[in-house]
Amino acid sequence: MKEWLVFLLLFLSPVLSSVPIVLAYKSKAWTERLPPLSVFGIFISVLMSLYILFMLPEKQFSYPWIPEFGINFVFITDYLSRNMGVITAVIAFFIAIYGLDYMKGDYRPSWYWFFFNLFTASMLLVVYSDNLFLLFLGWEGLGAASWGLIGHWFRDDDNITYVGRAGRKVGPLELSWPPSFGGWRAISTIRFGDVPMFLALAGIWALSPTLNISEIEWGTLFETLGAGGTIILFLCLLMGLFTKSAQVPFSEWLMTAMTGPTTVSALLHSATMVAAGAYVFIKLTWYIAPWTLHGVHGLEYVYLLVLFIGLLSGLYGALCGSGMLERKVLLAASTMSSIGLMFAAAAASYWVDVEVGETHMNLAVLVAFWYMAVHAFAKASLFLVSGHLIHATHSRFLSGGLEFGKKMLPAFIVTIIATTFLVGIPPLTAYWVKSAMDEVMEHLFHEVGFLPLILLVLTSVVYSGLMAKFLALNFIKGEKPHHEHTHGGGLMKVGYALMVSVLFVLLYIIFTTEEGHEFIAAGAIMKHGTITISFGVGILALLAYMVALYRPQISSLAKLGTFLSDRMYLPFVNDFIMPKIGFSIAHVVQEYGNRGIDGFFNTVAIPGLFGAISRGIRKIQTGYLSRYISIVLGLVMILLVLVTVGGVWL
Amino acid sequence: MIELSTPLVMLLGALIILTICSVFSVKSHDLGFYGALIALILAAVAVTLLLPALRYYTAFVFVIALINLLSLKVIKSVIQGVDYGLVGLMALVTLSIFTTQNLALILAAFVLVSVPTYILVMVREGGANVEVGIKYITFMVLATVLFLIGAVTLAYTKNAFNGLLYILGYVMLVLGLSIEVGVAPLHEWVPDVFTSADPIPMSIIASLAKIVPFVIALRILISTSNSLTVSVTLFTAVLAAISMFTGNIGALTSKEHARILAYSTVANMGYLLACAVVIIKPEFFYFALTGALLMLFANAVGKIGFFNAIKAEGAFSPTMYLLAFSFIGLPPLMGFWGKLFILFSLVKVEYFWLVALMVLNSAISVPYYLRLARELGIGWKANLTNYICVAAVIITVITFLPDWFFRSMEVIAQAVGIAL
Repeated sequence: MKEWLVFLLLFLSPVLSSVPIVLAYKSKAWTERLPPLSVFGIFISVLMSLYILFMLPEKQFSYPWIPEFGINFVFITDYLSRNMGVITAVIAFFIAIYGLDYMKGDYRPSWYWFFFNLFTASMLLVVYSDNLFLLFLGWEGLGAASWGLIGHWFRDDDNITYVGRAGRKVGPLELSWPPSFGGWRAISTIRFGDVPMFLALAGIWALSPTLNISEIEWGTLFETLGAGGTIILFLCLLMGLFTKSAQVPFSEWLMTAMTGPTTVSALLHSATMVAAGAYVFIKLTWYIAPWTLHGVHGLEYVYLLVLFIGLLSGLYGALCGSGMLERKVLLAASTMSSIGLMFAAAAASYWVDVEVGETHMNLAVLVAFWYMAVHAFAKASLFLVSGHLIHATHSRFLSGGLEFGKKMLPAFIVTIIATTFLVGIPPLTAYWVKSAMDEVMEHLFHEVGFLPLILLVLTSVVYSGLMAKFLALNFIKGEKPHHEHTHGGGLMKVGYALMVSVLFVLLYIIFTTEEGHEFIAAGAIMKHGTITISFGVGILALLAYMVALYRPQISSLAKLGTFLSDRMYLPFVNDFIMPKIGFSIAHVVQEYGNRGIDGFFNTVAIPGLFGAISRGIRKIQTGYLSRYISIVLGLVMILLVLVTVGGVWL
Repeated sequence: MIELSTPLVMLLGALIILTICSVFSVKSHDLGFYGALIALILAAVAVTLLLPALRYYTAFVFVIALINLLSLKVIKSVIQGVDYGLVGLMALVTLSIFTTQNLALILAAFVLVSVPTYILVMVREGGANVEVGIKYITFMVLATVLFLIGAVTLAYTKNAFNGLLYILGYVMLVLGLSIEVGVAPLHEWVPDVFTSADPIPMSIIASLAKIVPFVIALRILISTSNSLTVSVTLFTAVLAAISMFTGNIGALTSKEHARILAYSTVANMGYLLACAVVIIKPEFFYFALTGALLMLFANAVGKIGFFNAIKAEGAFSPTMYLLAFSFIGLPPLMGFWGKLFILFSLVKVEYFWLVALMVLNSAISVPYYLRLARELGIGWKANLTNYICVAAVIITVITFLPDWFFRSMEVIAQAVGIAL
């Protein structure tokens, strides 16, 4: 099979397969029949991504677009892309199957399926692009699609789609957000980061002969920029990555993004959007190889910043989640936490020059990537379960006792597997990856200190409790739901069962591959005669899990819980302080500047000038040939005389 | 004795078929159309055989000419039949303009493309637009005289250098070109003729007829350039800037659709004239040539679409908007690539102020193109006008990836020199 055809099918089949349902948007009969076609489009992408994984070599594929300007369709099938591509496509496919059931009877299926597939295609473009410009196209596609999907239920007419308790006010702010607001918040936050990111790409383009990530001479580029330039470049770039990946202080949009359909939340949290920011950072780090650039000034500060933003986001997300009672928002907070750990692990690579395997992959970067993979499948499973629970109980709040759990047995089992496999309990999948992460943080003792490891351990413990709370309050110790509709949902069950099963596959891969050996070694119980930190953290995670399972809610800490579930009042930055600043600027501009500016640009000066010139230009057209001839001949004669005189004089 | 090769025979055959069919088309109108069509096919094949790198250029000119021919079917003119022959002749000349290096032939080509438009401009249903004709012809004669004298003077200075004569020749050639295509401040005929002539012949004059003068002027200028060119080029740059502003600002307050298109032409001719600046660094000329031709094609199909829409009192709304976007210069439409390549070549020759003015002018043009699209856009009807507009849109999106065209122009740019 020709490579170009593989890439074409990979990116276009999801988009093209969702065009028919868009065209048929007016016909209820057709929009009910066409969703399987959209799912089939994603299935083609799955096949193509598998083809790339198993059949194509690790190399760059370049197809000319505007070669004169160094902008081409350049794809790369390196370790990261080929694996992430499969993860993205497979997760999107499983979620799409689930969506066939979940979105049945929705009021605008055409909108949903088009943006869902566009979302998938955009992420695949981000994953496989080697060219930064092309990557940015996918990046923007993610932004547009996320806006469409988060605000999918734009009518705001069903309280079950909201985030926050209706009518709850804290100070001047109502902590309740409808879907239309969620969509707007998402796009406005990420736009805030995309603009500086675009400037950073432009900067790289101006200074580097190529925009291909794998070919840019990063060391030379940073030396040209100097310490200040490198820091500014990275800050601009990181604005894009941090906003997209919802790291502090840009995390609010992710919480209110839960107003979208659950399938969207699942995709957004596992393999696209928030993962995109971390993925791009991992990829850039992979090629920048900062552990070889210790001579470059400024780079260390950048990686230090990412390390701590990641760790802080990790702890902040886990803490906030521990106080939350809304199913999806709790999971959203935990995702933010996990993504933070990915950033932190990848950033740690600056100080961790440990190579893995024959291809000499950096351990820290590899750990970040593997944690992304494990997290993606586990979190997608949990989201899909919570979507089913919301359907079954008609409530977005944690609820359901053991009796209910038995009725929802598949969901119950999937939740047990997904949570235990994710939190790092030995010897389940995430334990090995997290052990390697602990080891990575241990490497930082000498140069950064103990703080990174402490933060990581704290996060791991809280996170573990958080997941157990999700399990307990949904299936074991929660209130009895007011409404129970536990029948049906066959495809939904298929969706999350398939999703969670991949965690076993990942466990198998860890035990059978070269890079897995490094993780196994990190997860060993004893080293040099003492118990390893990794194993200790694993036991702590297990303990936290058990405790939270036993006591998922502590009523005496209700006030602390509210503080945490209100995200430590970070919404005030987004919904109060920032708008206040904006409005005060607007006020000043309106009162003092606008009339002048408006008058100059829009109403009086410039329009008047243009109008006058325009009329002047058109006044020449009197219709009389004699007048025209005198103008033209006059001009020609004057010019010729001038030229002659000038020429002679010269 | 000229040796007759197969392509040459084909070209001659095309001319003969065209002539005979035109003569007999007075009896049967369709004969004129099919004669022109066959001549076009023959000429296109001949040109491609002569210079394989010209195949994309040939394809574009062929399609534009074909649409011009088809659009003539909308109008019942008194010379129906012969008008196909006239368009056929213009197309034949346009197709073969890159195939000769002989100055006399090239100058003859200039006249051969110009003269048929004298008749076409007067075409209207059931009569002749004599007043418009007189206005137009007066300007064209002046343009032709200036252009030919300028060209010959420049050719003379190539062999016997004389600074004064070179500058005089240069200015005369540029002035001749400016009057011919409608560069401000010598554009007075454009708004009048565009608004009072019939839209269908105007769609031909605004499209097919613009290609040859520019190509010829660029070829002559680059073949005769010398150390004085750097200083005298400033004149062209200033003229280009004046034309952009006059066209775009003039169009802003124009209400009549044809008048907006007239000023749009003046602006576009300004963009095109800017390409002539690039001859001071011939190594970047292929960028300018690519830009100029893409711009000419984008202008041609855009004008064809809009004029046909004016004739039919509206066309399918999406096509109108896409053509407007192409004129504005939105990627990935052809108008964008034309402007991009021109801008890029101007950056290479370090005419930054002209680059800035051109970008500014693209912004000024946004309101009137959108207004045009909004006012001319209507629902879908299955008629010839809409098919023509759809064809125009297809051409503007076909250069979504412009690389293939650019590569072919890289080859052509090597062979633009004229034997002097």
